[in-house]
Amino acid sequence: MSTILAIDTSTDRTSVAIVKDGVSLIELHHDDALAHGEVLPKLVRQALDLENEIDLVAIGMGPGPFTGLRVGIAFGQSFALGRNIEWVGVSSLDAIAVDAGQSDFIVAIDARRQELFWARYFEGGRITDPAVNVHQIVEEFGIPIVRTPPRAGAIAELSISQNLREPMYIRRPDAYPLPAGITFRAATVMDAVPLYALEKVIYKGEDPWSLAQFKEEIAAKDRYYIVAEAQGTVIGYAGVMPAGDLTDILTMTVAPEFRRRGIAREFLKRLIDWSRNKKAVAVMLEVRMNNAEAIPLYEVNGFRKISERIDYYGPGKTALVMRKELRS
Amino acid sequence: MSEPLVLGIETSCDETAVGIVRGRKLLANVISSSVEQHARFGGVVPEIASRAHLEAMQHVISAALHEAKVSLQDIDALGVTAGPGLIGALLVGTSSASGLALALNKPLFGVNHLSSHLAVDALNETQALEPAIGLLVSGGHSSILKVTDLASDVEVLGATIDDAAGEAFDKIARLLELDFPGGPAIDLLAQSGDSSAIEFPRGLTHVNDREEHLYDFSFSGLKTAVSRYLKSTPSAVRADVAASFQEAVVDVLLTKALSAAKSAGIESLIIAGGVAANSRLRAEATRRCALAGVRLRTPPMGLCTDNGAMVAALTSLMVTAGSTPTSVGFAADSSSGLERLLWR
Ligand SMILES: [Zn+2]
Repeated sequence: MSTILAIDTSTDRTSVAIVKDGVSLIELHHDDALAHGEVLPKLVRQALDLENEIDLVAIGMGPGPFTGLRVGIAFGQSFALGRNIEWVGVSSLDAIAVDAGQSDFIVAIDARRQELFWARYFEGGRITDPAVNVHQIVEEFGIPIVRTPPRAGAIAELSISQNLREPMYIRRPDAYPLPAGITFRAATVMDAVPLYALEKVIYKGEDPWSLAQFKEEIAAKDRYYIVAEAQGTVIGYAGVMPAGDLTDILTMTVAPEFRRRGIAREFLKRLIDWSRNKKAVAVMLEVRMNNAEAIPLYEVNGFRKISERIDYYGPGKTALVMRKELRS
Repeated sequence: MSEPLVLGIETSCDETAVGIVRGRKLLANVISSSVEQHARFGGVVPEIASRAHLEAMQHVISAALHEAKVSLQDIDALGVTAGPGLIGALLVGTSSASGLALALNKPLFGVNHLSSHLAVDALNETQALEPAIGLLVSGGHSSILKVTDLASDVEVLGATIDDAAGEAFDKIARLLELDFPGGPAIDLLAQSGDSSAIEFPRGLTHVNDREEHLYDFSFSGLKTAVSRYLKSTPSAVRADVAASFQEAVVDVLLTKALSAAKSAGIESLIIAGGVAANSRLRAEATRRCALAGVRLRTPPMGLCTDNGAMVAALTSLMVTAGSTPTSVGFAADSSSGLERLLWR
């Protein structure tokens, strides 16, 4: 027998419910992407006016834009602390799926920057890990995409079977601790062969650099090349060079099986730091226009598109030129 | 009413901080800083700060209660920084405070970060509260405030028109290839330098600036001057540059603060904010205040930078003064000035 206060702020909607012994006593919500902080306490107070004896707090842990998410989590955890009761974290995507009423579908929450947090569900169970991708990739499955905001009542329902202790971030913040088990160091000429080997695999048929080019590049005085290693094997590399009062990022490559672990992000940080130390006023880079993984990373790190170069990577392969200002 | 037991929460920048006071007595001051996570980026990254606040908040509240040897049920009122600050960071604090206040059914006060910096001055029961000029200097702010009554009447006399004093320290530290945060690094380097070696400009001290910017600061010209000097003088002694830069900042801060005190007929000067930990500022303030017959009130080092005790201290003064608590569901305001001492 228990009374649950349930909260979700993973979407533009702020939702609150009180569920007593499986029966919803009150469900309130308000839609405003920028007002979770103001709305949530008001809705909770309104709900408490009806039932003030709470035994458990159930909190939607996202994924969702952090602007709102932090409000629900901070509030819910502190409320539980204040009442000396437990709190339980629940996947907001799973809560949407509870109400979806379909058999093969995707649940998605707007992740801003033209991306979606999503997961696929089949016959009542989640069959993929929550991920974040551009809309287009999610739409390519060709199955229904459910985007209704989660109901706090469904959060309460799932609190019986789930117990998340941390927010579902999925997307890394602008900066984060180093990826576990990966070491970073400056490249030496000894790395030319492994770098070339990796390059050949990744850019097969896309005009990879030659071994001689690698040797020359790494040896060049004004260049800065770094490599990432996992258990002694080179799994990525990146390089930058000065160009007038700017710097230009020459390459940034991570082996496919090591992607989405924050390695590229760490490369980018180091190249930007190096550029700052060189007193550069800005960092430039070129990226394939269809590179849906890299472009959001650059945007998050403050790069803005400034022009396009048609056929830069060969016929029909356009490059975006992006620039990040360093002067502060 | 007996002395109120107040818990204060501060999350406006990179410190997750909770303080507990009873009346004007400090019981606990717990701070979890994410500064190390920001160090390699040369500044505070808002997204990292917000995640760190969320991660640390419950632990910091519990640790403060433990330190003060009180339980949440004993708390009479809660205070929280409602602005100014990084909006995403503020939201973690205001949401936590709102959750606690509703759970405990206790009044919550959303207070101004700037005035709470000065309220640490109240955490000394042997010292009578009196009108004062506040010199608030840190990485986020540089202002001269006129404090008639901490709980109800604090007025901005002047503020920086470009960089904050602490920001100037960080930027010069970067030019001198010192670590972030730059304040302590410059303080240390300057100790072996000659502060009169280089004559750096004192911003907004010209006669022509008096009318419009009598108590305002500007540090961007100073930054440019240091940068130019370093470029044009390959033989520059870094310690002399640090000492001369620091001297220029200290000189202009104290000249303006003491002239504000004089013209307002106020006999007390409170120096607060992270830069108040600067040893040269402290020494020079002691000397000049003695000359001017002004009582200098510098909070203990640990209470100069952002902390929760200052929020609790200000809230406690407001509770004692009978102020009306903030209403449920107030909006944090990243850019609020001192016209909002207490949120409605
Ligand atoms: Zn501050």
